[in-house]
Amino acid sequence: MSRRLWTVAFLSVPLLAYTTIVIVPLVTSFYYSLTDWNGFSAQYHWVGFANFARIASDPLFANAIKNTAIWMAAAIVVPTAAGLALALVLHRGVRGAKLFKSLFYLPICLALAVVGQVWIWIYRPDWGLLDLVLRDIGFSNVAIAWLADSTTALGAIILAWSWQQTGLAMVIFLAGLTAVSRELTEAAEIDGASYGQSLRRVVIPLLSPATVVVVALSILNSLKSFDAVYVMTKGGPFHSSDTLAMFMYDVSFESYYMGYGSAISVVLFLVAMIVITFYFRQVRALEHLHE
Amino acid sequence: MKKRGMWTIGMVGLVGALAMLLGACGQGAGKSEVDVVHYFSDTLGKTTVTSIFDAFTKKTGIKVVDNTTGHEDFKTQILVMLAADNPPDAFSYWAGARVQFVVDSGRLQPIDDLYKKDNLDTLLPPAIAAGTVYNGHKYLIPFGYHYAALFYNSKTMQKLGLTQPPKTWNDFLAMCDKIKAAGIAPIAVGSKNRWPAQFWFDYLLLRTAGPEYRAKLMAGQAKYSDPEVANVMKMWKGLWDKGYFVPNANAYDWTDAADQVANGKAAMTLMGTWITGYWNGNKLQPGTDYDFFPFPQIKDGVPNVALGPIDGWVMSKNAKHAASTLKLLSFLLDKGSQAPWAVGQGALAPNKTVDPSIYNSVMKKASEEVGASEAFNFNYDLATTPPMAEGGLTMFAEFMNNPSKSMDYLTETDKVEQSVFKK
Repeated sequence: MSRRLWTVAFLSVPLLAYTTIVIVPLVTSFYYSLTDWNGFSAQYHWVGFANFARIASDPLFANAIKNTAIWMAAAIVVPTAAGLALALVLHRGVRGAKLFKSLFYLPICLALAVVGQVWIWIYRPDWGLLDLVLRDIGFSNVAIAWLADSTTALGAIILAWSWQQTGLAMVIFLAGLTAVSRELTEAAEIDGASYGQSLRRVVIPLLSPATVVVVALSILNSLKSFDAVYVMTKGGPFHSSDTLAMFMYDVSFESYYMGYGSAISVVLFLVAMIVITFYFRQVRALEHLHE
Repeated sequence: MKKRGMWTIGMVGLVGALAMLLGACGQGAGKSEVDVVHYFSDTLGKTTVTSIFDAFTKKTGIKVVDNTTGHEDFKTQILVMLAADNPPDAFSYWAGARVQFVVDSGRLQPIDDLYKKDNLDTLLPPAIAAGTVYNGHKYLIPFGYHYAALFYNSKTMQKLGLTQPPKTWNDFLAMCDKIKAAGIAPIAVGSKNRWPAQFWFDYLLLRTAGPEYRAKLMAGQAKYSDPEVANVMKMWKGLWDKGYFVPNANAYDWTDAADQVANGKAAMTLMGTWITGYWNGNKLQPGTDYDFFPFPQIKDGVPNVALGPIDGWVMSKNAKHAASTLKLLSFLLDKGSQAPWAVGQGALAPNKTVDPSIYNSVMKKASEEVGASEAFNFNYDLATTPPMAEGGLTMFAEFMNNPSKSMDYLTETDKVEQSVFKK
């Protein structure tokens, strides 16, 4: 058989899987977003763009978009800053650095659902670790239900998620730091630069490839954060921690507005596409830099 | 040689992919089997239901293929199977608005003939039999049901000298006052997953406005801003304002609330009879450690209605193994299946020929309470259509968080109702 035929034969298997698992559902979602399907019925009606019009006027959708935006913003700042700080400290050679590296990386090995469950316990108002510590350090009457309070729920989940994400950021920054040539930092020191100056002017700019990867991964992972929200609050209380993915699930599988849920998933898909396009652009720009 | 090796690998891959596809299509090709999916996937439920299926196979020679995954997966799994036109022959479902929803979607097979042929109606008390009829036809085989009541810590109540169950609302309030004065929270609610709060709304509405008005509200023919509902919220808020509820209800699950009652931190919780299964599992003794009293009467002349869910089995339209499926459904209503199920699940058996001696003292009392009630109603999230239930459950959780805005919540819920029932 010719080489070309072999290529086709081998590629057809993953392509078949990819088509059934990704492409077909994607296209059907687009299709259902134009119907009033309830998920059960064999019959449904064509409603045109009515579901998208509903998106535009639904305050709960606006709320989910706002929360997703907050999450993305936090995803850019929190794991990146925390991961960078940890990497810089560990790179300077603290005693037990190897142990700390493993410890900080450990959360990445856990499923997000497990992380969520651990933090549910931390956030409990009666015997949760956080409130216990607050009570021990003097706030004697504190019993904050972090996940049950609509003002703190979203922040509490993002913090738990960032705790996991930080380990990943740290490892990427550590890898980036090994690529920063000692000669450059030493040259800066000889020229009289303080640690802060050499960090700002030499190390961080040289870390920009790693930073792009960290930021892009954080944003992408923030879009995939459904598990944490589902386990910790299911979007509650009263939708205060709804993200786009959670809201879509709620609308589709709890309220059985499958058509509307599909329309939300189309929006989610577009948001993800924008992020991915941005990511590949940045990566390509960096490749150019390396050349 | 190298090329041959590649050829083999390629063929194995292709054959494997084909086999997977064919396997998905070819399931259920054998004649004497029934494909089922259910949500009884906790260890105890799964073990018991499997033993019942095994008994069925032994009796009839028909194999039961159980495709169940997890409880949370069930909701999506059944949707996916129905959407792909590959439904199981039979599946478990919640009687009431949920079954109605699937019936209205044209996905279920009426089983009137089975009821007639096997004389099944004679096995069911009328209150439960009412939950098997949808759009004038029989669709459901009731498998087990639960009754919601005020479950309490017997030792706490005894210590406080509260040995008589409250008959009236004022008795109940006096009881709560006494408990609170002793430094114990009268009522635990774990409304983190929203639904545990619904029983308060349900019973307050049933005991003040009555079942007829409630049925109208559930069907979208009455408004949430009606004075009847506003009155319920006012009474509920009254309990809240007096500090009868454990704070931070939304931070806890129903099992946390059960624990708070069991360890004496709270005195009682309004919950379904499944709580007995949970407590028994934690080595609490029915009667000596825990007991219950029915939700007190509030207004004279309002019928005494019991509340709870019924778990049942339904048959898919175009079921691949129709004859075998009907045999299984009939078998599941038989007392030989219902007795072990009720015991294993801490549920009540819908089949009235089941010997009551299988129950412990608390479950026996629960079964008698339901028998003495004038009707059996489904709890809120099973009484109204799923999208409406979503809106209502959120309102209840909001209420448990901050009841001062309860009237605003009602106006909001009105809007949800209008959008749900507009067609």
